[in-house]
Amino acid sequence: MKKEYSLFLMSLIVILLAACGNGESDEVSAESEEKTKIEYWHVNAETQGGNTVDQLVEEFNAQSDTVEVVARYNPDMYAGLMSNMQAEVASGNSPAVVQVGWAFLDYFSENFEYVEPQEVIENYHEEDVTFLEDNFLPNILELGQNAEGTQVGIPYSLSNPILYINKDMLQEAGLDSEGPETWEEVREYSEAINKATGNYGVYIQEPADSWGQQAMVECNGASFIDDGKASFASDEGIEVFQYYQDLVNDELALHIGWDQGIQSFIDGNVGMLYTTIAQRNNIESNASFDVTTLQSPTWEGKEKRVPAGGAMLSITAQDEEEQAAAWEFMKYLYSVESIAEWTKGTGYVPPREGVSDSEEGLKSFLEENELMIPAIEQMDSMVPWASFPGDSGIEAEQKLLDMRDIILGGDVDVEETVSNTEEEINDLLE
Amino acid sequence: MAKRYVSILLLTPALLLLTIFTVGPLVYTIYLSFFDWNLISPNKTFVGLENYAELFKDQTFRRIIGQTFLYIILFIVLNTGLTYVTAYVIAHLIKSNKGFYKVAIFTPSVISLVVGSMLFLWILNPVSGPVAIVLGWFGLSIPNWTVTEGMVIVILSLIVAWKVFGYNFIVLYSGIVGIPSEIIEAAKLDKISKFRIFTDIIIPMSSSTGFYILIMTIVQGLQYVFTPIRVVTQGGPNYYSSNLIYHSYHEAFDLFNTGISAASSVITLLIFMFLLAMQFIFVERNVYYEN
Repeated sequence: MKKEYSLFLMSLIVILLAACGNGESDEVSAESEEKTKIEYWHVNAETQGGNTVDQLVEEFNAQSDTVEVVARYNPDMYAGLMSNMQAEVASGNSPAVVQVGWAFLDYFSENFEYVEPQEVIENYHEEDVTFLEDNFLPNILELGQNAEGTQVGIPYSLSNPILYINKDMLQEAGLDSEGPETWEEVREYSEAINKATGNYGVYIQEPADSWGQQAMVECNGASFIDDGKASFASDEGIEVFQYYQDLVNDELALHIGWDQGIQSFIDGNVGMLYTTIAQRNNIESNASFDVTTLQSPTWEGKEKRVPAGGAMLSITAQDEEEQAAAWEFMKYLYSVESIAEWTKGTGYVPPREGVSDSEEGLKSFLEENELMIPAIEQMDSMVPWASFPGDSGIEAEQKLLDMRDIILGGDVDVEETVSNTEEEINDLLE
Repeated sequence: MAKRYVSILLLTPALLLLTIFTVGPLVYTIYLSFFDWNLISPNKTFVGLENYAELFKDQTFRRIIGQTFLYIILFIVLNTGLTYVTAYVIAHLIKSNKGFYKVAIFTPSVISLVVGSMLFLWILNPVSGPVAIVLGWFGLSIPNWTVTEGMVIVILSLIVAWKVFGYNFIVLYSGIVGIPSEIIEAAKLDKISKFRIFTDIIIPMSSSTGFYILIMTIVQGLQYVFTPIRVVTQGGPNYYSSNLIYHSYHEAFDLFNTGISAASSVITLLIFMFLLAMQFIFVERNVYYEN
């Protein structure tokens, strides 16, 4: 019996220690009492620039006498952040600066209170009145405007989907290392890889959003959303999902969660990976084979159209002091040096001018880092990320995920599933 | 009389906490289940029983009820049945290294389920995990379980079992060890088989502990499995790993259909009340209490 007691005691101590760990973060603020403390919410896990977020926040806090920023990571990407935000607002609080994913532009602007960045600048930081005008291209700023043309936020993380290639595996399969340019060729390549090495040919990203699928549909000349209504169940759209299902059913494409999928590519078990440029740093630093990147494949004879991924920064601070602090922090994040760090740490394309071509920016980095080039080259084919308007935005996005699960899950009729989902989403939006 | 006031006074703190944290939210949940609301909007619309009607019309929800029972059955098998046998084996059939087994089996229950889920996700990664690699040497492979219906429930239950097993084991073990050894020695002398000792002596005589574990398994198992579902599948593929408790959460805090979520919680509550009533009627009367 004695042993059991000591065991019990030990576990008690472990639990107590674990409980103590939570308290630590509150103690830091004691010395910086006069600083305005604001929260910055982001979605960047460690594999996706989380370290850079921490580094930038730390550097900002060190140089600012007035503002103290606390970064808070939100799991499950932009949808997860929206959910947390909703719960936070329901309890009467709100962070100061948040990353709003493009897909949630309309949902966010209809459901949350925010201040337009320009308004904050005019009220508290007159010296920066022309900051946005001077540093951002108008078409990039437009990405952050909702249906009514209000500037909801400022583009911060800009990405687009590209194809990563395991060159060694392609060589082993005797394939042209130029890589595939169309989705039809992706299938041919996958078959060859599967035959020669027994590995999966390709993994198409499956995170908690349908961005990757939108890219495939848009590249086939169909649009995901048209005039505020879902429109992906066109012949071209169905063709894409049929192709995707066949690819998975024939075991040429891996069907698995996003993290595991990327891991499988890094481990050398999948030949090609279709995901965001934002994973560039993670893949480049962890893959032990010769990796290269290509522009997003398109369909035979169709024009390339890739949705802009990433997020903008919006100001949700409620009181004036915090709003002023929020801009001070944002201005720091948008400086040439910070944006350069952000691109290096993640792979996002710089949203503002004067970064790619300046020495303190990315000039020398881009000269060495060829993996970034396809993403920057295809920036002129960028279209907005489908954002469903109205209260039902989140639910509509969920329906798209359900649809992906159903289609990839087995031998269901693609045409019927896609049409049903489109109908359900349009019912929701009414 | 005075004594009665004292006892009421002593109960007050517990009753107060129970009212604030259990009864209050319960009543509020029932209230919310009649409204259409998104958690932040200032206006709640009264919709009567529409939330309930919508749930029962929804094929996915009916399937989720079925999956909930599948989870419960798996938990009973893994966390009560298997644990009972293991406790008996270690208490009476094994002679040496008992301490080692006890520690080894108990250790996982102090590790967080989030950590456990990540571990299993890595170990059982069907493409590059260690299990897949070892099986690969023999030309075998493991299915892609996170997206395979049925399979995903089994694996998630295993993750929970890994965590809960240790605690249940220690409790059952002490119940079994508490049985007077003369009885078992006598049975052994009479050459009663080990299996019959288990079914005819151990189970009946430790049944009060066993009954406690059974109830805890059913009531807590579904709450425990919430964590691995959240970490590993988020209810997918297409809700095939969801259960009633996870679904209530998903509706409320992922989709913000507060009314639907509240209705689903109320249905869950009713199902559990029914299950517990069944247990008390059919199982409890066979339980042996020493005092």
